[in-house]
Amino acid sequence: MRRLAPAALAAAILALAVYPILGTGYGTRSVLQVFMWIALAGSWNIISGLTGYVSFGHVAFFGAGAYTAGILIASVGWSWPAAALAGGGAAALLALGIGGPCLRLKGPYFAIAMLGLNEVLRALVSYFERLTGGGNGLSLPTLDATVPVYYAMGLTAAAVTLGARLIIGSRFGLRLMTIREDEVAAEAMGIPTFRHKLVAFLLSAIGPGIAGALTARDQGYIEPLSVFPLATTITMIVMTLFGGKGTVWGPVLGAVVLFVAQELVWARYPYVHPLLFGAIIVGVVLAMPRGVLGLLQTKYRLPRTI
Amino acid sequence: MNLVITPAMVGQVVISGLLSGVLYAMVALGLALIFGVMRIINVAHGPLLMLGAYTTFFLHQHLGLNPYLSVPVSMLVLFGVGVLLQRTLVFRVVDAPELSSLLLTFGISIALVNGAQLAFTSDLRAVEYLTGSWVLGPFAFSKTRVIAFVFAGGLTAAAFLFLQYTRLGKAIRATSQSREVAMVCGIDVGAIHRLTFGLASALAAAGGALIAVIVAIQPEMGQIWTFKSFLVIVLGGAGNYPGALVGGMLLGLVEQLASLFLTTQLSEVVAYVLLVLVLLVRPSGLLGGRQT
Repeated sequence: MRRLAPAALAAAILALAVYPILGTGYGTRSVLQVFMWIALAGSWNIISGLTGYVSFGHVAFFGAGAYTAGILIASVGWSWPAAALAGGGAAALLALGIGGPCLRLKGPYFAIAMLGLNEVLRALVSYFERLTGGGNGLSLPTLDATVPVYYAMGLTAAAVTLGARLIIGSRFGLRLMTIREDEVAAEAMGIPTFRHKLVAFLLSAIGPGIAGALTARDQGYIEPLSVFPLATTITMIVMTLFGGKGTVWGPVLGAVVLFVAQELVWARYPYVHPLLFGAIIVGVVLAMPRGVLGLLQTKYRLPRTI
Repeated sequence: MNLVITPAMVGQVVISGLLSGVLYAMVALGLALIFGVMRIINVAHGPLLMLGAYTTFFLHQHLGLNPYLSVPVSMLVLFGVGVLLQRTLVFRVVDAPELSSLLLTFGISIALVNGAQLAFTSDLRAVEYLTGSWVLGPFAFSKTRVIAFVFAGGLTAAAFLFLQYTRLGKAIRATSQSREVAMVCGIDVGAIHRLTFGLASALAAAGGALIAVIVAIQPEMGQIWTFKSFLVIVLGGAGNYPGALVGGMLLGLVEQLASLFLTTQLSEVVAYVLLVLVLLVRPSGLLGGRQT
């Protein structure tokens, strides 16, 4: 098992790398979406899965990245890879600014403050029409970049997962989990909790920023409602919960399984889709709060850094 | 904007702010009760308000019931819905970490909204009942808003009297102060939780019934009320029930003044900045700590 895992991982990466050459356009696009969800869920996991601070508005960073890249590409004429990096940087800056006050809030207050942040960004984007196009949205110059964006998004997903692996295996990750278990005790043991939370928050914003920028490039058109939906935040949370929060591979597993499930349902029952999604949320919360990997960890003594 | 702002205009928005403030307070009191008693933020609070509005609409449409007479009916119906939700789902997450209760109630919320879309369609509905305003000096009072103000004020006062003087009300307050001690005193905490969720849903339903004659009714009308109600209980101090009244008035005023001096689009931004500031400077709300 221990020897098999790296080989299986290498084979999976190889298969995904050659997929756009062999696969259909629809398939490539779907895998691209899975990459996006892995990057989003994995990033949410770093702040909320490890420190227990529930970011209920993580899509704000996705939207911030999308608009930063959109404006840089459409108005300034940057190339999209540079704009994607700028999107990640903008999201990190936003996290730094908003984390200062918000990470001092505890429990549900932090969750709702993040939820509000998302609504506020949407209102601001709609308000500053000259820059963002307001409610009419922002069109990017046409460019068929699905395949390069596929690789960029895959790289982002891989980087987020690798980052999570490094963090969870490090002393930094252990300190974050100490904050989750008991923040007062962590503080008493000499962990500068605020600084740790802020760094985790910052790291967790970069992935969604880049993913948002790449999505903006891929879709060629963004508008406030499409890049700041609360449903995106909830989807990344439920994916992480399903797979197992606080684990490395949980968000990956959750993203793949739920995306496939969603595609199947979406195609068949578009009208009741939200209803089923609501039922899935309720089911995951009630039946498996620790997720698949969490269950396996307790049952089969799997390593903590899975 | 080169509009001149006259004192009469400021007076007018202050009046509108206070009128809607009491409505906010009543709806938020429901959220505050659930939060106080169970430490749960009920994201489905707004969608419950939406169901109240639809109840009023259908009673008016099919039975020709006066929308103001349907307020108690809506409240009763939603009381039942609330008790049912608590009994089947919400009680399972009372002691879970906040992520579970936030997500669970969010799941309920989208299921309710989507259910309403399927059952009632997304068409905009309206209860046409009263229009026009009463004019007093330089100020105009929209009739529907004044009546909503009176109803909301009365119901909020009734809720406070209930909490203050009846045995059940005292049991609710006792449970919100300390669940263990309440249990030791022989209070059936599970029943109190169901009663609380039912009452909170009834208050949301009253809000829905009252705004049914003011704004258009559609399945997604509710979500913004969850956020506003949360803002109100933060302003007033979570767990401090009279604080909801102060918070509601304040939110009404701030929103109206922001829409006068800035633009309506930015009033949400102003409300948000206010929320974060209050949480940072006075985390226990403007009135201070938990009082009961």
